[in-house]
Amino acid sequence: MPAQGAGAPRQGAVPRMEYVRVTAPDLARRAALATTHRRLRAAALCFLLLFAAVSLKLADATVLHPLQPRAPQIARLPPEEHDPTPGSILPVVANAALPHRLRQMIVDRNNQILAVSLPTAELYANPREMIDTAAAADQLKRAVPRLDAAMLRARLTSGRAFVYLARRLSPQEELAINDLGIPGLYFQPSEERHYPRGRLAAQVLGGVDVDERGVAGVERFFDRDLREAVEPLRLSLDIRVQTVVREELTAAMVQFHAIGACGIVMDVRTGEVLAMVSLPDYDANAFGATPAEARFNRAVTGMFEPGSTFKLQTAAMALDSGVAHIWDQFDAAQPIHIGRFTITDFQGKHRWLYLPEVLAYSSNLGAAHIALAVGAERQRAWLRQMGMFARLPIELPEAGLPIVPSAANWHEVATMTIGFGHGIAVSPLHVVRGVATLANGGLLISPTLLAQPALAEDEVARGQRIMQPATSDTLRRLMRLVVTAGYGQKADVPGYFVGGKTGTAEKVGAHGYKKHTNVSAFVSVFPMNAPRYAVYMMLDEPHGDASTGGFSTAGQVSAPAAGRVIARIGPMLGLLPQTADAAAIEAGLAIPLQPARGGGIAHALAPEHPPAHHAPMIAPAPARTADPRHDLRHDAQITAPVATALYLAPSDAAR
Amino acid sequence: MPALSRADTSLLGRWWWSLDRWTLIAIGVLIGFGYVMMLAASPAVAERIGQSRDVFILKQLGFLALAGGVVVTVSWLSPRGVRRLALLLGIIALALTALTLVAGVEIKGARRWIALPGLSVQPSEFLKPCFAVLTAWLLATRHRRPGFPGTLLACGALVPIALLLKAQPDIGMLTVVVAVFVAQLYLDGLNLFLVGLALAGMAGAGVGAFYLFPHVHSRVERFLHPAVGDNYQVITALQAFGHGGLLGRGPGEGSVKDILPDAHADFVFAVAGEEFGMVVCLLILGVFAFVVVRGLLRLRGEGDGFVVLAAGGLITSFGLQAFVNMASSLHLIPTKGMTLPFISYGGSSVLAVALGIGMLLALTRRRHHGDLA
Repeated sequence: MPAQGAGAPRQGAVPRMEYVRVTAPDLARRAALATTHRRLRAAALCFLLLFAAVSLKLADATVLHPLQPRAPQIARLPPEEHDPTPGSILPVVANAALPHRLRQMIVDRNNQILAVSLPTAELYANPREMIDTAAAADQLKRAVPRLDAAMLRARLTSGRAFVYLARRLSPQEELAINDLGIPGLYFQPSEERHYPRGRLAAQVLGGVDVDERGVAGVERFFDRDLREAVEPLRLSLDIRVQTVVREELTAAMVQFHAIGACGIVMDVRTGEVLAMVSLPDYDANAFGATPAEARFNRAVTGMFEPGSTFKLQTAAMALDSGVAHIWDQFDAAQPIHIGRFTITDFQGKHRWLYLPEVLAYSSNLGAAHIALAVGAERQRAWLRQMGMFARLPIELPEAGLPIVPSAANWHEVATMTIGFGHGIAVSPLHVVRGVATLANGGLLISPTLLAQPALAEDEVARGQRIMQPATSDTLRRLMRLVVTAGYGQKADVPGYFVGGKTGTAEKVGAHGYKKHTNVSAFVSVFPMNAPRYAVYMMLDEPHGDASTGGFSTAGQVSAPAAGRVIARIGPMLGLLPQTADAAAIEAGLAIPLQPARGGGIAHALAPEHPPAHHAPMIAPAPARTADPRHDLRHDAQITAPVATALYLAPSDAAR
Repeated sequence: MPALSRADTSLLGRWWWSLDRWTLIAIGVLIGFGYVMMLAASPAVAERIGQSRDVFILKQLGFLALAGGVVVTVSWLSPRGVRRLALLLGIIALALTALTLVAGVEIKGARRWIALPGLSVQPSEFLKPCFAVLTAWLLATRHRRPGFPGTLLACGALVPIALLLKAQPDIGMLTVVVAVFVAQLYLDGLNLFLVGLALAGMAGAGVGAFYLFPHVHSRVERFLHPAVGDNYQVITALQAFGHGGLLGRGPGEGSVKDILPDAHADFVFAVAGEEFGMVVCLLILGVFAFVVVRGLLRLRGEGDGFVVLAAGGLITSFGLQAFVNMASSLHLIPTKGMTLPFISYGGSSVLAVALGIGMLLALTRRRHHGDLA
C-alpha cells in the first residue's frame, strides 16, 4: 500500500514512495480474521437466543403456567398454615396431625361396653437421624421396660432409614419416650381394641386384626360402620343374660363332660338375640392366638340335626294345614322298616298315640306318620317358609347354610325322618327362630343382633304371619305339655310356665350314626301364657352321670340347664314369677295327653275336616272313616322301595 | 489477598492483571451455586447412592475445591502449554475412552465410565475440551503454513472419536463434540454452504440415531408426544419448577426433588427451581450467558487464530452443555443426560469442565502481541 513518508518536507519534495510489503497470505489471514470476528458475533447472538428461549420456558414453567405436583407426592410437606381467627394469640400449630378417629364402641342393649378402642401410638425411627443409636436403644429400654433390648439395638443399628420399634404404646409410654428427647424417633397414632368382658360373647363380637380391621363376628359384619359411625354400635345382647347362659352352659358342660355347648336366648316377638353362647370360647382380646375350634360359633355356623325339636314343626304343619287333628292317633306300635332303615322309638309305648302323646313321649314313629300325612311337598314348603333352607338373616358373617336334601332326594324316608328332625341339619338359631315363630302367634321373626325399638301397643310380634294364630295357640299348649308331662319336666320353673321340646340326635360319623354320641338340645319358650323369650340350650357329646341315671338325653342334661337359666334371667328381664294365679294360668294352658273319655273335645278326623287342598299322599288315601286307625295304619305299611342314598351326612360337616 | 499493584511484575501480578477476571468471578459464582445445590440435592442422592450424607457432602466439597484449583492452575499455562496439555490429556482420554468399551462400568445400559477408587471417571468428558483445543491448533496451523492439511487432519481425528462415542453409546456427547467441531469450522471461516452441509449432515445423523438407537428413539418420541409415553422424569421436573414459582419454597423445603430421579445431576436445575424459584434460576442462567456471550464477543479483540478457535470451541462446548441441561430439564428439548457445569453433582464432570475453563482462561490472558510461548 503506498504511503506518504512522514516528516518529509513538502516543498521541493520529491515524492518518495515507501513500500510496505503486504504479502498475499497476510491479506488472506486478515480477511479470515475479519470473517472470524463477524462470525463470533453471530455465534454470541445465537447463544443469546438459546438462553433467551430457556429463560422464556423457565418463566412459563415457574410463573406463567406452573405445573403443580400432585398432593400425595408432597404429602410430607407441612400443611399450609391457616389461622382460623385472624389476630388470634394462639400459636398456629404447624404440621398438626388430624385427630385420629377411633373405631366405634360396641355396647349391649343396656349400653354396657363390649368393645372399645383406646388411643395408642406406634413408634418408629430413622436411625440415620440419631446421634448415638446404641445409647438411644438403652434409653428406650429404660423408658419402656417391656420392649426387647436386643430387638431395639439390632434395628436401630441396622443403618436403615426406617425401622419399626413398637406397637401399642400407651399414652404414658409415649410420653416417657417423648421425654427422652431422642431425635429421629417418631410416633404414629393408632388404637387398640379392648374387650373388657373377655370371653363373654366372644364369637358374636369376633375380633380385629393388628390393623384394627374386623375379621370375625359383628366386628367384621359392621367393620365399615364401626370405622365411620359417630354412635356406638348397640347390640341386642344383654350381657347379664349372656353371663347367665354362659355360666349354666359351662356348668352343664363340665358336669356332663361335653365337648361343646351352645345357648341362645331370643325375644320371640322381635327376634332380638339377648344371648348367644358357644363353648368352647376365647378371649376376644387375643383373637389372633385363638384356635379355630374356639372361634367356631355353634349357634350360627354349626349345623346339627335338630332331632326331636323338629317334631314341633311337624305337628304345626299338620295342624295348620288341617291334615291332622289334635286328637288323631298315630301308629307307634311297631317299628317302620323302610329300605335299609328301621325307625323305632326311644322308650317307646308300643301303641297308637294321640298327637299330644307323640310330642310328650317324643315318638319318632308318631312324628314319621304325621310327616307322611303332611306329605313331602307341603313339608318342604313349610320348612322353606320357616327359613330352614336358607342362611339366617343374622348380622354375622359366619352364618351358615343349612344342609338340606335336594328335592330329588326328598323321598318318603326323608319325609319321615325329617319329621322327627333327622336327615336335615340346621343351626341352633334356625331351631330357635322356628320355635319362637310357633309360639309368638305365628309371625316369622328375623333374628337380629341389633337392639330394636320396642313393639307398639297393638303389635303381637314383628314379622310376617305364616300360620294361623289357633295353630300357635295349640303349639303353646303342646310345648307346655312336654314340660308338665313329657321329657322336658326338668326345665320347669314355677311361675314361668315353661314350654319346650327336647331334641337328642345321634351324631353322624364317618360310617353312619354314632351310638351314644349325642347332640342334646332343649328348646323352650317362657312364659307360655304370654310368650316373651325363647331359651335354647344344647350340649355337644354329653355323657350321662349318676344324677341322670346314666342318660345323656336332652331331657336329662339340657332341660335342667334351661330351667336354671330361665329362673335366673326371668327376673332380670322384668318378668316376675306368676305364682299368685298360677292355677288359673295353668288350667288355661293345659291340654291332656289323651282326649277325655266321652268328653266334648273333637277327636278323629271327621268327614267335614279333610282339607280342601289335600295334598296327594304317599298311598292313595282311602275315604276317611271315623276310625283313623284304618287309614293311618295303612300309612304304616309303606314298603315302597327307596333309593339307598336317602341320607345326606349332615352335622359333622359343621364342625 | 493484599491488593495487587498494576505495577507488580511478579508472576502472580502478571497472572492476575493479564487474566479475564470477570470470567473467573463468574466461575466462582457458579461453583458457589454448585455448593448450595449439592446441599439441596444431597439427601435424595445420599439415599440413592447408599452413602451417608456427610461422606457425600465432604466428597463433593473436595471435588468443588479441586475444580477451583484446576481452573486456577491451568489458567497459568501459556497457549503453547495449553496445546501441549491438550495433546497429552487428549491422547490419554482417547485411550481411556477406548478402554471403556473393554473394561468399562456399565450404568443404565451404557459403558462410559471407568471405575477408580473413590470415583468413576467418564474419560470422554476430558476428551471434549482437549479435542476442541487440538482442532483449533490444526485449523490455525493451516493458515500459518499454507499447504498444511489441517481441516483434513481435524476431520480425520474426529472420525475415531465419533466411532468410539457411538460404540459406548453416548449420542449426547457425540452431538456436542461434533457441534463444537462444526462451530470451530464456522468460526474458522468455512464456506457457509459447507457449514450448512455439515449442519444438514448432523440433522441427518440425528434422524439416523432416532431409528438406530432405541433409547434415542424413545426419548424423542416422548418429547414429541408427552401425553403418550412415560414422561415421569420430565413431568416431575416441571412440577418442581411449578412448585417453586417465582421465589421458590426456600432452602431445604423442596419436596418434589425427593421423588425426582437424577435430581443431583441431570435435573439439578429443577431442584434449584423448586427451592429458589425463577429468580435464582434466571441468575444462574444469566451467569452462564454472561460467560458465553462475553467470552465470544471478547475474542474479537484477539489476533491469534489458534487462540480464537480454541477459546471459541471451549466456550461453545461449555455453553452448549449448559443449554442442553437446562433446556432438557425444562422440556424444551428431548431429555439428554448432560451435567450442568459446576452445579451438578459428580467428580469427573466437574473436573473436566474445570479443565476446559482453565484452558479458556489461559488462552484469553492478555499477552504481548504474538507472545504465544
